[in-house]
Amino acid sequence: MDMASVEIRSLTKWYGRSRGIEEISFSIEPGEIFGYLGPNGAGKTTTIRCLMGLLRPSSGEVRVLGQRVAPGQGTQHERIGYLPGEFRIWGRPKARSSLGMLAALGGDRGTAARRKALAERLELNLHRPVGDLSKGNRQKVAVVLAFQHQPDVLVLDEPTAGLDPLMRQIVLDLICEAAHAGAAVLLSSHDLSEVSAICGRAAILREGRLVEMAPISEILQQGEHRLKVWFTDGALLPEMPSADLPGVRIVEREPGILHIAYQGTADPILKWVGQFPVDRITTPQTSLQEAFIQYYQQQPGSINRAGDDLRGQRS
Amino acid sequence: MTGSSRPPFPLRLLWFWFLRLLPAWLGIAAVIFLMQIAIAAIVHDNANVRTFLGFLRLLPSIVRTALGGDMLESGSMTALLTVGYQHPFVMFLYMVFAVGTPTGLLAGEVQRGTMELILSRPITRVQVYVCAAILTLVGMFCLVMVMFLGTVSAVHIYTFSEPIDLNLFFRLAMNGGLLASTFGAFALLSAASLGRLYSAIGVAVGFLTLNYFIAIVAAWWPRLEFMRKATLFYLMYYSDLWQQWPLGNMAKLAAILIGTVIVGGIIWRRRDLPL
Repeated sequence: MDMASVEIRSLTKWYGRSRGIEEISFSIEPGEIFGYLGPNGAGKTTTIRCLMGLLRPSSGEVRVLGQRVAPGQGTQHERIGYLPGEFRIWGRPKARSSLGMLAALGGDRGTAARRKALAERLELNLHRPVGDLSKGNRQKVAVVLAFQHQPDVLVLDEPTAGLDPLMRQIVLDLICEAAHAGAAVLLSSHDLSEVSAICGRAAILREGRLVEMAPISEILQQGEHRLKVWFTDGALLPEMPSADLPGVRIVEREPGILHIAYQGTADPILKWVGQFPVDRITTPQTSLQEAFIQYYQQQPGSINRAGDDLRGQRS
Repeated sequence: MTGSSRPPFPLRLLWFWFLRLLPAWLGIAAVIFLMQIAIAAIVHDNANVRTFLGFLRLLPSIVRTALGGDMLESGSMTALLTVGYQHPFVMFLYMVFAVGTPTGLLAGEVQRGTMELILSRPITRVQVYVCAAILTLVGMFCLVMVMFLGTVSAVHIYTFSEPIDLNLFFRLAMNGGLLASTFGAFALLSAASLGRLYSAIGVAVGFLTLNYFIAIVAAWWPRLEFMRKATLFYLMYYSDLWQQWPLGNMAKLAAILIGTVIVGGIIWRRRDLPL
């Protein structure tokens, strides 16, 4: 049986009396790109820092490449590429020098050629002091730092922040190439379009707890679905009997068109719509952003079926 | 890396930090070295000595105490040369290095966010701490040795009317180096314990300044003489240093130094860094 590259079990971190994360569990297989989503303060960075051994967990366990992470011990760091969410590096030395020093820590060798190739691909001048670089170019330095030693595990916190669309695509390509080569990728991002584009699975974090973890396609299905209904010319738009159609709502009315959102099966809504002179019906695809927002519009404690499932799995 | 192996010692980090510190260290060392030459240039000449002593008498008594007190009144050239070792400006330069190095390397890297990058590589927290400790303690000790070299150079440049006992100055330098390194260790403890750069600097400067002023005031005001034991300076100034190696006090200073470094290391290893 293949060993998971990253395995997090019941990870909990409290900052004094403040909650960081609670009972987080997930694993990432080799070659998998795993999306890690949540609003600011949900606990994404806390999870990542526990994974990197930068924070001492209150309880739980983190394993990377089969080895238990001991805080402050640099566990398996020679095989991890890390891109922090708020990337800050020494301003005065040249990018090449700082990257070289960080690559050499721990005796790493042979990264110079890879560093040069990455810089060329990202159109980054490594011979300039980092302090003279624009925000986007500094982010490229962060990308080079994470990828330069061809790691087996990539921990990327907002890797495309501040990059233009072209560079963003190059970074996404780099992530996919690394995954194809067998690297496990933990991708924390606010850009849900890029998560849905490259991640196979994702976890959604809310107030320090995992409320969803599923393949992206499943997450998309779990949210509200949309129907766009065109009525024949001259037909009046019908009023919806809310009591008879629970979980269905009209999102928008246009002349001759209704935008309807529903949860669960489409059967009741189709039967209701069928009573009227319908011209055509389309089903716009739910975006991950819509699904994500729905998780956060629900009240804590009534999260969703998936959240309950997760708690069930743990117990 | 297997489960039990430890990452190799991060010599590249040590070198990287060394290069960053080097300009400041060289600047401080040059000023301290030149101070010894300048003091020797004044005191090697009897006429200058009289003028110098006259000038010292004009100073407030507490300032005279800070410069060496009654010891200077003897007019001994050896005693006058020690002014270069305890001049407040020289003390200030030592303080700048003792405080600036560990706080800049530990608390400073944490505050800048670069510690997160360092610790994301195969390196342990203890190794990072050891690098900062080496640069602080060795740097402090080397500064004191530069001060001694300044005296040695001055003795060769100028002719003195009485023999200058360089062994005494070597003893002074070794004890001064130990004292300075101990203060460096306290600054290291402060940097390892506190999250913010300015908090670490504030506590370290406060500790050093308090020690210094208690030592001066206790030497100057007889009614406060009992307080002299409350400072680290006591272990150097109130010893038989002028006659022989004060091994007992040196051992105490070394024990305080090692204990402080170890406590700082334990705190640094265990605490969460505000990355």
